[in-house]
Amino acid sequence: MKNQSLFRRLLARPEFGPLVLLLVEIIVFTAINPRFLSPMNISNTLTFTVELGLIALAMTLLMTAGEFDLSVGSVFGFTPVLMWTLFNAEVLPLEFAFITAIFIGAMIGLVNGLFVTLLKIPSFLVTLGMLLVVRGTALFMTSGFPQRTWGAKGNWLTEFLVGDFYIGSFRVYASLFWFVFAALVLWFILNKSKAGNWIQASGGNANAARARGVNVNKTKIWLFMLCSSMAALAGVISSIRTSAANPNSGTGYELEVIAMVVIGGTVLTGGRGTIIGTVLGVLILRIMRNGIVLVGVPGLAYSIFIGSIILGMMALHSWLERRHNSGT
Amino acid sequence: MAKELIRMKNIKKYYGKVQALNGVDLTVNESEIVGLLGDNGAGKSTLIKVLSGAIPVTSGEIYVRGKEIKMNSTTDAINAGIETIYQDSALVTELSIARNLFLGREPEIGSGLFKRMDIEKMNEVASELLREVGISKNIPPSTPIAALSGGERQAVAIARAMHFESDLIILDEPTNNLGVAETRGVLNFVRGARKSGHSCIFIAHNIHHVFQVVDRIIVMRRGSVVVDDIDPKNSTVEAVERVITGMDETV
Repeated sequence: MKNQSLFRRLLARPEFGPLVLLLVEIIVFTAINPRFLSPMNISNTLTFTVELGLIALAMTLLMTAGEFDLSVGSVFGFTPVLMWTLFNAEVLPLEFAFITAIFIGAMIGLVNGLFVTLLKIPSFLVTLGMLLVVRGTALFMTSGFPQRTWGAKGNWLTEFLVGDFYIGSFRVYASLFWFVFAALVLWFILNKSKAGNWIQASGGNANAARARGVNVNKTKIWLFMLCSSMAALAGVISSIRTSAANPNSGTGYELEVIAMVVIGGTVLTGGRGTIIGTVLGVLILRIMRNGIVLVGVPGLAYSIFIGSIILGMMALHSWLERRHNSGT
Repeated sequence: MAKELIRMKNIKKYYGKVQALNGVDLTVNESEIVGLLGDNGAGKSTLIKVLSGAIPVTSGEIYVRGKEIKMNSTTDAINAGIETIYQDSALVTELSIARNLFLGREPEIGSGLFKRMDIEKMNEVASELLREVGISKNIPPSTPIAALSGGERQAVAIARAMHFESDLIILDEPTNNLGVAETRGVLNFVRGARKSGHSCIFIAHNIHHVFQVVDRIIVMRRGSVVVDDIDPKNSTVEAVERVITGMDETV
């Protein structure tokens, strides 16, 4: 009896579906190609996963508050370009160029937040506009050419952000720790802190939250800033790791990130969000991308699988929701 | 003579050229339940929004215990001890009962970076409040509002107002869409609130519900208070109806 209720409780959690999907994915890919579980493949998969994952974590909180941000992909491309341009032109040392890049990222989020909250324009339109402005700025600033990044080899900051080391044949980048750290901090904020209660209330019923004295606008503006800053950090980390700051990089990431978040069980319309679900969603999509190539499906077919996963997970969430509301 | 809690003096509200409130005077005493009646467009909702700080007045004064209060936001009203329970909109359905009760005033433990909500205390107080307000079923405080019935939701909202020492609880159509048993429950919660020393303004279309619970009835018509001293014990539903529709000037 007790076991059954434990199982039912587990089933009722929004993270249950994504968890099962992730396990199925891993089992299927490993069965077809055992190399899927090789240390090299795992570390390769994780490397880029955590960079997108940083954005997805911040996006989870923003979406829980009922908004989303389409400009993260362009911020991911723009801020490293800005950082390396400032550094290469010897305007600023790397540390200050880095701080400037993150700061500008936060300011982009601030503008998004002000437009959405004060002018009451839907975040879809505001951040779509911002996507174009930021991407355009990156292209204009660089005339479309990538910025060189190798001038900073061995700098403590680049080591601190993305330094790598080996555990056996398992290559680990420092960014993995940043991802784990960010997941823990944001989980704590969303579930345990007063701010988390405000975030969920802002997305669930903004009027009720306002009537209780919760500053919904301020909450949302902070989250827009968090989201853009994380996109900036992820962009910088990625540019250091790949030794390339391309003004075009990050194109389409916004949709992949939003897909990761909703697959994990966070609701697009706000009110409910889960960091654990997002971590699962991030892994599901990245492992899918890696796995289908490894088992011999043409990489070009990747989008078909992602689309199907999104549709399937949405159907599952809606089914669970209806079951939940009918009191079973 | 009962002590005066709220006095609204010559309240006017214009929307452009449309006059929604036409110089309203209204008082509510301590531990008094006042029924506010009127047809659609009579100005009840506008008056309540003014009193709860949701919209600014064009002119007029509001006194709480004799002290003038400027209602510029809902926070001002809450700080002055005025709590408004709108139908359905007062709660976040995704959040638990306890999280709703303490929304905006979450108790915290720990310090510095590890400061967090005191969820244990929140749940404990919430359970106690639910019993106090008269919810008989054993509902755990971690239940999301989405799983509650309409009457239970009203109970949570009323419990919250009582806990945070609101002197005046404004109930806007609390019995709308409720079944017979649930309505009886809500009316009991209102009586409970009076017993513990709170005042209420009770707005409802159903005059029978108002008659069952209030001490005094105020009728509004076209932005003005037309009668403010109907004693439900010495009056009938039909008489009040005639005043609301304007067939009679008083009961």
